[in-house]
Amino acid sequence: MPAKSRFTRLDAFTKTVEDARIRTTSGGIVTIVSLIVVLFLAWGEWTDYRRIVIHPELIVDKGRGERMEIHLNVTFPRIPCELLTLDVMDVSGEQQHGVQHGVKKTRLRPQSEGGGDIDSKALSLHAAEDSATHLDPSYCGPCYGASAPTNAAKPGCCNTCDEVREAYARSSWAFGRGEGVEQCEREHYAERLDEQRHEGCRIEGGLRVNKVVGNFHIAPGRSFSNGNMHVHDLKNYWDTPVAGGHSFTHTIHHLRFGPQLPDDFGKKLGNKHLPWTNHHLNPLDGTKQETDDPNYNYMYFVKIVPTSYLPLGWEKKFAGFRDDHSADIGAFGQSVDGSVETHQYSVTSHKRSLAGGDDKAEGHEERMHSRGGIPGVFFSYDISPMKVINREERAKTFLGFVAGLCAAVGGTLTVAAAVDRGLFEGATRLRKLRSKDL
Amino acid sequence: MSGYNDFGPPSHGSSGHNGGFQPAPPPGGNNNGFQPPVSHNGFHSQPHTPGFDHLHSNPHSPSYKKRDLLDEDAFGSKAGNIVSAFDAFPKSKPQYVTRTTTGGKWTVAMLCISLVLFWSELSRWWRGTETHTFAVEKGVEHYMNINLDIVVRMKCQDLHINVQDAAGDRILAGSKLQRDPTNWSQWVDGKGVHRLGRDEHGRLITGEGWTAMHTHEEGFGEEHVHDIVALGRRRARWGKTPRLPWGTREGDSCRVYGSLELNKVQGDFHITARGHGYMEFGEHLDHNAFNFSHIISELSFGPFLPSLVNPLDRTVNTAPAHFHKFQYFMSIVPTTYSVGHPSKSGSTSIFTNQYAVTEQSQEISERTIPGIFFKYDIEPMLLNIVESRDSFFVFCIKIINVLSGALVAGHWGFTMTEWLKEIVGKRSRRSGHSDGVLGSKGHYA
Repeated sequence: MPAKSRFTRLDAFTKTVEDARIRTTSGGIVTIVSLIVVLFLAWGEWTDYRRIVIHPELIVDKGRGERMEIHLNVTFPRIPCELLTLDVMDVSGEQQHGVQHGVKKTRLRPQSEGGGDIDSKALSLHAAEDSATHLDPSYCGPCYGASAPTNAAKPGCCNTCDEVREAYARSSWAFGRGEGVEQCEREHYAERLDEQRHEGCRIEGGLRVNKVVGNFHIAPGRSFSNGNMHVHDLKNYWDTPVAGGHSFTHTIHHLRFGPQLPDDFGKKLGNKHLPWTNHHLNPLDGTKQETDDPNYNYMYFVKIVPTSYLPLGWEKKFAGFRDDHSADIGAFGQSVDGSVETHQYSVTSHKRSLAGGDDKAEGHEERMHSRGGIPGVFFSYDISPMKVINREERAKTFLGFVAGLCAAVGGTLTVAAAVDRGLFEGATRLRKLRSKDL
Repeated sequence: MSGYNDFGPPSHGSSGHNGGFQPAPPPGGNNNGFQPPVSHNGFHSQPHTPGFDHLHSNPHSPSYKKRDLLDEDAFGSKAGNIVSAFDAFPKSKPQYVTRTTTGGKWTVAMLCISLVLFWSELSRWWRGTETHTFAVEKGVEHYMNINLDIVVRMKCQDLHINVQDAAGDRILAGSKLQRDPTNWSQWVDGKGVHRLGRDEHGRLITGEGWTAMHTHEEGFGEEHVHDIVALGRRRARWGKTPRLPWGTREGDSCRVYGSLELNKVQGDFHITARGHGYMEFGEHLDHNAFNFSHIISELSFGPFLPSLVNPLDRTVNTAPAHFHKFQYFMSIVPTTYSVGHPSKSGSTSIFTNQYAVTEQSQEISERTIPGIFFKYDIEPMLLNIVESRDSFFVFCIKIINVLSGALVAGHWGFTMTEWLKEIVGKRSRRSGHSDGVLGSKGHYA
């Protein structure tokens, strides 16, 4: 048939006629070995195709969210919860308003008794407590010289011990143990304070703050801001019957900014993971600092880098990140499609005594510390403009897999054919030589 | 023998479709390693076709006996044939294979190309690849070193060197660094001294054409990682101050050098004059003695590795007026250089810091504090540069791939040219003369 003969002429894959073919043992062995190698390589290609790797990229964070969550869990074994205050401020010194929070203070037994939990209470952040439920509705308590706080339950009156303390704080007056103040004696404030003196405190929970340069700190006594000033009432902290005084010995169990990255993250990173980077570790987890000096100040300078984690197939499901402000504390940043918006950080720490002095004891006489300030633990954070995106991708596309398969099979067979041809030619030559000798 | 010619041995490149002729016994006779074909269609019909009888002419000659044996072997099946049954690679018997000059040319061309490819692959493997990655730095660090070697055009006792940082600490650097009196003229003509942003000849450095610039004085980006790591292991030492000329006891400049440990927070390292800046007792310095011109021979952060070149190394800056304020804003990026991937054994790494610097200097009034201010800040991103080479096994596989590819391409090239020749030959034959079937040169070259 003419069509068949045309195609036959085009055939570039020459085939040797059966009768002219030679089959050798060495050829058989090479064939079997090459088949095994082909199977092995094909299996390698298949596992490569199924593997999921993470590609980190660095971009400039243009679409910045407005808010950021801070989760912390810090233990202070030598200060009672009554004396601790958590404040969040931004770079201008203003206290941040409208901070959503879910922080609670847990009273801990004294260190000598093992430091177990007693009870916990939700922390009120700059909000007045309303505990005067049993009083006459027309009761209006005196403020003992200070003007009534603006957020009092009843305007112009200080009905609870807390409101009197707030009034005093606003006038920048020290409060002390509240002797002679009727509201505090009724609430047994002084007694409560005294019996809790030996206890410790654990602060844990989350805060949702504005994403600006700022700081949050844990310091003793009630705080009050007036313009540029931010002051704390330190009287109760210093006048204490506890032997040795209170001190800011602390252990940071956990501090992170945003949700935690998935645990198998490090494994998926593969050989891009280098030992000096913290892909899902928080550098401050498990930090312990100890001191006996009540006038000691710890500072942590945190540099935050926004990070996001996009699982496989993310672009198809939902591309785009929207702040879900209604999400509860802890759920912020985790979207329904499995992507996670969080922050990694790098931190340096510094500590000094309030009296100043130098580091002569450590051999650094030239380092002089500044004087003043208040005791406490201060975290100053700064947000980097660079954002790290960790994207899950397949190591190879399907077509890549097919191409790799062809390459493996073709390459192996070509090499095996060459080897076999070489063996055959070599054997033939040897035979010729030997037959000549005979 | 006429019948034999009809079939003609199949050439290397053409498509054979003939069947049913008996392969002649090989002219070597020795049967070792030569297994006759096991099964064929129509193999046994040959004794009946005319023209083949001459092969079996004399049953009693010794050569016939050998052939007879061979023929019997050819008909039998041996145990070793099982393995050879798997032989998937077609090899033709030598007498049915023709070698052509075109094929020879293609083979030579293919060999040359293979050699070139092999050489390029070898050099590429040997060079290795450089990977740059950024990540957030791990760890809570407290301290960082600064290494400084600067000559200021004022007398040593007139200078105050201090650091103030965000942690509220003030570091009296003056007590930790060495101060040597020297002369300005001994330094200003030093080799390689240039202004920040310009090269030795005063030309502006724009960074274009950096791949062509094989200047080895320029730092990091243009050097190879293994050079940097090797240099990093050399012992670090400060150079000696050149001796003052005979007779003078005090030069007009001061060389300040040494390493200092700072807090790893944002800070400000400054060199100011006595009496202007820090409150001291009655130590005012005459305004005409101020001259904050300086030559920075070395300014780096982290471990002291003098052979690495930083942006401010060997820069000179002259102050046109007495009350002049020099400000350098530096952003420090921690960097690690590794030869060999760090997770594998046998790799070496060095940890340094690179920085980017901008300068702002202006003349100021006599109410402001003059001096040289280095304001530094530390970036949270860590840059890792890893130079690695593929393992030898991977390299071998690559070479095998490349050579096989060249082989196959050569084979195809030959086939194509043969096919083209056939088409062209046919066209010319169709259009012109025909030589007849027999004895024509057109079939096989």
